[in-house]
Amino acid sequence: MAVETNKLILRVAEVMIDELKLEDVTPPTFSPDIDLVDEVGIDSMDLATVALVLQDEYGIRIDEDDYPKLTTIRLIAEYLENKMQLKT
Amino acid sequence: MYYPEQKEYPRTPSNTHKIWKFNDILADTKIKQRWEKVRKYFFLRESTYDMTNRCNIRCEGCYYYEGEKQFARENLDPEAWRQLMQAEKVRGITYVVLAGAEPALAPDLLQTCYQEIQLGAIASNGLKSIPATVGYKIHISVWGNDNTSRLVRGAQDMLKRQIENYNGDSRAVFVYTFTRDNIGQIYEAMDLLADCGGKATFNMFSAPVGYKGRLRHTPESLRQTRLTMTDVMHRYPDNVLFSSYSAVAHTHQFGLHDLYKCSYPRMNPSDDLGLGRSFRQYRTDLTWDRDAACCVPDTDCADCRHYAAGSAVVTARLFRHATDPETFSAWLDYVDTYLAVWVMGYQKGRNLSDQSVSPPEQR
Repeated sequence: MAVETNKLILRVAEVMIDELKLEDVTPPTFSPDIDLVDEVGIDSMDLATVALVLQDEYGIRIDEDDYPKLTTIRLIAEYLENKMQLKT
Repeated sequence: MYYPEQKEYPRTPSNTHKIWKFNDILADTKIKQRWEKVRKYFFLRESTYDMTNRCNIRCEGCYYYEGEKQFARENLDPEAWRQLMQAEKVRGITYVVLAGAEPALAPDLLQTCYQEIQLGAIASNGLKSIPATVGYKIHISVWGNDNTSRLVRGAQDMLKRQIENYNGDSRAVFVYTFTRDNIGQIYEAMDLLADCGGKATFNMFSAPVGYKGRLRHTPESLRQTRLTMTDVMHRYPDNVLFSSYSAVAHTHQFGLHDLYKCSYPRMNPSDDLGLGRSFRQYRTDLTWDRDAACCVPDTDCADCRHYAAGSAVVTARLFRHATDPETFSAWLDYVDTYLAVWVMGYQKGRNLSDQSVSPPEQR
């Protein structure tokens, strides 16, 4: 489980960097616990963009109402993991 | 003369039952290009500011002269405004909307705001020129023909004077507010604006809380306004900044809150993300109240179809519009329109969709 979560964390970080064109950070150096809203400055539109890409990739649905809970990369990864478990 | 009545785009099995991947929607080159064009502006974070409690006219149904905010003390000290703008930048605000009552009466404050935050718009009645050194978009309110302006706003020759002040000014967008009574008068206004190459967009009268006057829309006036908007878009394609989906969203029997779940703090208790977190509506005394904060305070939320509200509320609903190419194209047209109306230098593209796409339900 931990290995899967760590892989997901790296992938979420990668999507976030690519989609939001974040500079000076790489997936391994992107702290999974940094507050994306307060410390990175992402907004609802940014999160929606990332959510659409992750939905495609993992075949799950990310509900709009859940956005406020997804404030760190770790929380997003855990959310994806839960959704994928529910699917199987 | 009207175009034949347009029905909203039916949600048939072909466009609703298929689950589209976002990547597949973007496989269409035109959609992809438009998406890449508009997403560059996702950094915009707005707040609004009442600049002065004075106005040189008094319009029926004016949102500013409703509620308590009209009684706030004026702060005309440019240094206080500079400090506010600097603090706003630190807070992450990148876009300012300078409104009530008539910002053109406080030109020093407009200049100060522009020196600190370079993206923004001013809502003005256009009767007093704003110095060219203030490089914001200027939204000039138009409420019908001259006769209607005299009745509703108590001012003569309004459009003529507005055009004289802003002829050839790339900052100017003339915002025609449709009320129940002035729908057909748009053609008079558009003829004048087209003659001078002016740009126009559309607003819908949205009743203040408790308003019982004659301007409030009815189901029939909403229907008629949608038809007229569509016709005007086709007749004046070089002058109108609007889209088919904009017409649907703003003339729907349900207001913006019911359709899209308004995300301004006044209707959104969450301060976790988005407008609910960052948006403030400052009064002339530089205070703000979270419970009242939206772009048109004291408007009846159930009747809100205001263009400024839609620019934030519809635009924020990216996720629920990414369902199929037609719906996403409609949303892209809406955002493209919004950016052309609100951002200096942004050029609107040709609309991707002519369909009257229905607003999607929350996914």
